[in-house]
Amino acid sequence: MHEELAREALGHVDALYRLARYLTRADADAEDLVQETYARAVAGASGYMPGTNLKAWLFRILRNTFISTYRRRRASPEVSGLEVADAPATEEWLRDDLELDRLRKIVAEEIEAALMSLSEDARTVVLLDLEDLSEVEMAAVLECPVGTVKSRLARARAALRRRLRDYAR
Amino acid sequence: MSEPPPERAVETALSEALQRLPERRAPARLVRGVEDVLATAPARRSRWRRVLVPALAAAAVVLVATPVVVSQRNAVSRAATATMVSEAIGDHLRIVQAQRPLEIESGDGHRVRPWFEGRLEFSPVVTFGGDAEVPLRGGALAWFLDRKAAVFVYGLRLHTVTLFVFRPEGLPWPGGHDVHRSSARGFTVVMWRAHGLGYALVSDADPGEVQALAARFGGA
Repeated sequence: MHEELAREALGHVDALYRLARYLTRADADAEDLVQETYARAVAGASGYMPGTNLKAWLFRILRNTFISTYRRRRASPEVSGLEVADAPATEEWLRDDLELDRLRKIVAEEIEAALMSLSEDARTVVLLDLEDLSEVEMAAVLECPVGTVKSRLARARAALRRRLRDYAR
Repeated sequence: MSEPPPERAVETALSEALQRLPERRAPARLVRGVEDVLATAPARRSRWRRVLVPALAAAAVVLVATPVVVSQRNAVSRAATATMVSEAIGDHLRIVQAQRPLEIESGDGHRVRPWFEGRLEFSPVVTFGGDAEVPLRGGALAWFLDRKAAVFVYGLRLHTVTLFVFRPEGLPWPGGHDVHRSSARGFTVVMWRAHGLGYALVSDADPGEVQALAARFGGA
């Protein structure tokens, strides 16, 4: 890894920490995960293709490290996949202008709590979207087709809206 | 009665709400730790490049520059070796300490190896499928540095022996040699290349036994 690349990589430490924190749910684990991510990135630097999105490449290493390291530690791993079981009983709330008001008034802690209540995969895709990654880049991070990213993101956002609606009640 | 808001407005409001997530910045100690990580291997490599190029030019005129080049190359090689060995031991420990069972539990190599089909972009070639003394326990998927690896787990009395099989392209292979043996933290690590693949065998069993076992896998 060239020094210039290393400097650029260091510039993404906050973004990596944010994702790590939302994945591990623990500050100490998040720090370890980020540190491990950079160690792996340094060791596998030749795998980075110059001109591509370095942040996306680092996110992919972080997610893979999380999967191989932290998920395995759990005695009862979280069920992966997106929450689709609690679909709304009706479409009424989707069109309710109260939802718009509630969303505009929601505070940081509420949106964070709602995000944390989502499944791991749902949290990840929402956060990657927040980091301004393209769908193609998200697909590379998540190692799935672009179409899957689109559907995952749509379902994750719908689940998030349901959570926020519940908090607002 | 007002018209219901369009879906787009709600989606926009959701995006705006997400932008209000608490700003979490990496703690200072983490930033320092990452700086240390980035300053070790990359600095050595770039320093090696900076030294090697002029050294090679100078070598055309003054052959005495050669020992400097060899010295720098050895430094890079040692750093790469340490990284690979550390990764192999870390991955081995994750397998040993995992509370979940292996993804495929079987003592039959003819069942374990096909299990990887479709799960990896290569077919792991493993020439030793276990025996009474070193029984195969099963297999799993793992990550070796930045790539997926097939993991074959064996028993050796009360010890666990882990064999990682992965694609070797682009890895800073230890010293450029085909077989590398190393010991660290009480573990023996044997790494080699064969069949176009990379192999890492790790165990805390007797080093002599681990090396002998590596030979049965082709890592002689």
